[in-house]
Amino acid sequence: MEIPVDNVDGVAVAAVPVDELDASNSTEFKRDIAPVLQSQTKLVLDLGQLRFVDSSGLGAMLSCLRQLSAKGGDLKLCSMSKQVQALFELVRMHRIFDIYNSKEDAVRAFQH
Amino acid sequence: MDTQRSSAGDIAALEASIQRHARYSLGKAWRDLSARDRFAAVALAVRDRMLDLSLETEERYRQKDSKRLYYLSIEFLIGQSLGNNLHNLGLRESCRQALRNLGADLDEIEESEPDAALGNGGLGRLAACFLDSLATLGMPGYGYGINYEYGLFKQEIDNGYQREKPDNWLAQSSPWQIARSDETCVVPVYGRIEHGLDRKGGYNPMWMDWKVLIGTPYDMLIPGYGGRTVNFLRLYSARSSHDFDMGIFNDGDYFKAVEQKIASETISKVLYPSDAVVAGQELRLVQEYFLVACTLRDIVRRFEQNHTSFRDFAAKVAIQMNDTHPALAVAELMRILVDEKNLEWEAAWESTQATLAYTNHTLLPEALEKWTVPLLERVLPRHLQIILEINRRFLERVAADHPGDSERLRRVSLIEESTPQQVRMANLAIVGSHSINGVAAIHTQLLQTSLVPDFYRLWPERFNNKTNGITPRRWLLKANPALADLLRSAIGDAWITDLSQLRALEKYACDAGFQDLFRKVKRTNKERLAGIIRDSSRVKCDPDSLFDIQVKRIHAYKRQLLNVMHIVHEYLSLIEDGRQPAVPRTYVFAGKAAPGYWVAKQIIKLIHNVGRVINNDARAGQWMKVAFVPDYRVSLAELIIPAADLSEQISTAGTEASGTGNMKFALNGALTIGTLDGANIEIREEVGPENLFIFGLKAGVVQAMRRERTYRPREFYDRDSRVRRVADAFRSNLFCPQEPDLFAWIYQAVLDENDAYFHLADLPAYLEAHEKAGGVFQDRAQWARMAVLNVARMGRFSSDRTVQEYARYIWAPFTPVVAEEPELLPR
Repeated sequence: MEIPVDNVDGVAVAAVPVDELDASNSTEFKRDIAPVLQSQTKLVLDLGQLRFVDSSGLGAMLSCLRQLSAKGGDLKLCSMSKQVQALFELVRMHRIFDIYNSKEDAVRAFQH
Repeated sequence: MDTQRSSAGDIAALEASIQRHARYSLGKAWRDLSARDRFAAVALAVRDRMLDLSLETEERYRQKDSKRLYYLSIEFLIGQSLGNNLHNLGLRESCRQALRNLGADLDEIEESEPDAALGNGGLGRLAACFLDSLATLGMPGYGYGINYEYGLFKQEIDNGYQREKPDNWLAQSSPWQIARSDETCVVPVYGRIEHGLDRKGGYNPMWMDWKVLIGTPYDMLIPGYGGRTVNFLRLYSARSSHDFDMGIFNDGDYFKAVEQKIASETISKVLYPSDAVVAGQELRLVQEYFLVACTLRDIVRRFEQNHTSFRDFAAKVAIQMNDTHPALAVAELMRILVDEKNLEWEAAWESTQATLAYTNHTLLPEALEKWTVPLLERVLPRHLQIILEINRRFLERVAADHPGDSERLRRVSLIEESTPQQVRMANLAIVGSHSINGVAAIHTQLLQTSLVPDFYRLWPERFNNKTNGITPRRWLLKANPALADLLRSAIGDAWITDLSQLRALEKYACDAGFQDLFRKVKRTNKERLAGIIRDSSRVKCDPDSLFDIQVKRIHAYKRQLLNVMHIVHEYLSLIEDGRQPAVPRTYVFAGKAAPGYWVAKQIIKLIHNVGRVINNDARAGQWMKVAFVPDYRVSLAELIIPAADLSEQISTAGTEASGTGNMKFALNGALTIGTLDGANIEIREEVGPENLFIFGLKAGVVQAMRRERTYRPREFYDRDSRVRRVADAFRSNLFCPQEPDLFAWIYQAVLDENDAYFHLADLPAYLEAHEKAGGVFQDRAQWARMAVLNVARMGRFSSDRTVQEYARYIWAPFTPVVAEEPELLPR
């Protein structure tokens, strides 16, 4: 999948470019986000397009967080739909990710 | 005559609406519609009316910010809806006329509606009656259940043996159901817990590797009588998260992709028959969780529309768990409050207990649900964690109050220390609820003293009784229109919404003219049933004979066998002793046996074989007939019950929680022959001991005999020649000449000191009670007087009264939210 990445004030902002992140495409997502994880330490994942995520999709995001944390970086999430937010809460993942309403808020959080 | 008048406006509007639905919903001209299509067109026209009223009702509740009651039940035994909905909306006569104008007959269309058999028996029918009462009382109460694609199996009889056929009631979809795809919810299941830390360094168990089920709600609208309030029953269908997994499909494994879709949809595929061994069956556990997860997600969504603080949750939400099947609600609500809404454990627990209430339905310890810990851990890992934490905190408290009493801890623990360990769902429901109720006075007493005495000692204030009830709209107004008309002409129709008004009938009990009319009603109903018996069982019976009826699930504790023993006794007395019965009788049975319950299926075979012998014996011809009406269901009950003279309620004392069939029969003017069990005791208190036929051991005696192992059936056999002759008949091949020894097991079973249902101990008293009943039936005036008094004194057994008691003592503050507009029903 083609993951568009912007650089905003030194923070990489990558948009998850699918409506559904699940068993059918999470491996592909992990593969295609890997170069970003290697080259960046501050990453915002923009989930604005995402409408559904299953456990493998959440696992893929968790893997991103762990890779960045391992090298002293961080991952923040933004623009979650209500449905996706509900799934994060359902499995307590909202407690390990920093989640923001907007891309700007997420980028700003890196700067404080 | 019906109890409602028609109006020209309603007739014209309904006629137009029916035709519009024929054309635009079904795409056919009225004249081309099949019977099923006609029903659909009428149902859709009626549904339109209900939708308007439903929106008005919801707006009324919203404006008042009313507390809502959610009734969670794995079963809702609805039956047919058209007739009931028309009655409650006051549209039945208008609809009849509208259809007449279109050249169709309302009765035929009503009959063509398939029963929604989403339940087994009493528990599911109680839930349906409660919904009718909640709407009639104008209370914001809703049912939540599962939209089974296959309801309870259809029963066919082949050479006296039950055969089960699938009941695909949704095959052509139900016009009553409204799909709410926009309110679909996601339910995770299976997976594992990953123990980690959150961003603040606190313990954070994450639920990983789960699979997804999707719950789509379908609403059935529930109109109250008078048409002022229309609530709903929300039923969830399961489907997979995708039509099928395109990833697997693209990898070339089409069948695996389809299999996954099918596996998900299996969750709501079929209703489990009661008495089936469900313990350990993973699908049943997932079904129960699916119901709870979808329901709570919906409840929370509705709550959050108007509220922000979950500390107010219990002030705005009451949840009643109908038996333990929804008991996972305790863990699921805790999970939502703690994991998703970030409440501290103590605050969440307080809120959970204040919200939830539990109704117990069984005294049979073997019927109490348990799930093994390994199964729960695999299916619901986070819920198991929560259950274990609830248990740890609970046992800590008990241990503090009772130091050193490890035996007590073992008894009350949510976990049974078996191999493997099991979670006791009744204990979970009790610990997580502010109210625990039984469903009849004796049942509640036995619940407190025998089933869970430790919990009663812990929290006596949480235990209470709510004697079951039945809705008079379905079980009298609709099921027995002739009696309803007679009552209306004698005492008016206030009883429809206030059943205690039937007391006014007492003054007619000795009125010869009224008795004549009452008998005519019964005779009409008996003629109708005689026709059904002739058509379904090829047995010709005399409507003037005493109709002695036992219809209910077939189960050892309900003792259909005892009934058969009486029939055998009467038959042998007639042909061997030449002793004629006091009156000719028609013995009628109906009921389903769980497919895997051998004893119950044998009893069905026995009834057929005994019937075959008796019905073909010319010596018995004018005195006795035995009929088994196949495929018992709500719509058949509505035809059978109004025709009964004598109602058989003969469970072993201490085994039937309440029974509601007993109430339906008495309300329709049958006299009860019964044990002091369940609600029979309260029926006796209401109608007076002189107006029914009570026999048999009391629950306390049965309990003591069991405990002390003092039951000696052989003594009853040796002592009483009647008992001996009946028992011997089962090993004589008299009733199974083609299949020798088929019923020999019955002889063994009833003479076994472990006969849990004490057949031989109760048989002599049962025979004598029947003697007495037969004698009274000979006196037509006395029988009619007693029957009228039964009807007059059944007011207490309205489900309106039951629901009001739940509202006042369990769901409080929970009150009617009534419409200010004039009611729609013509008076």
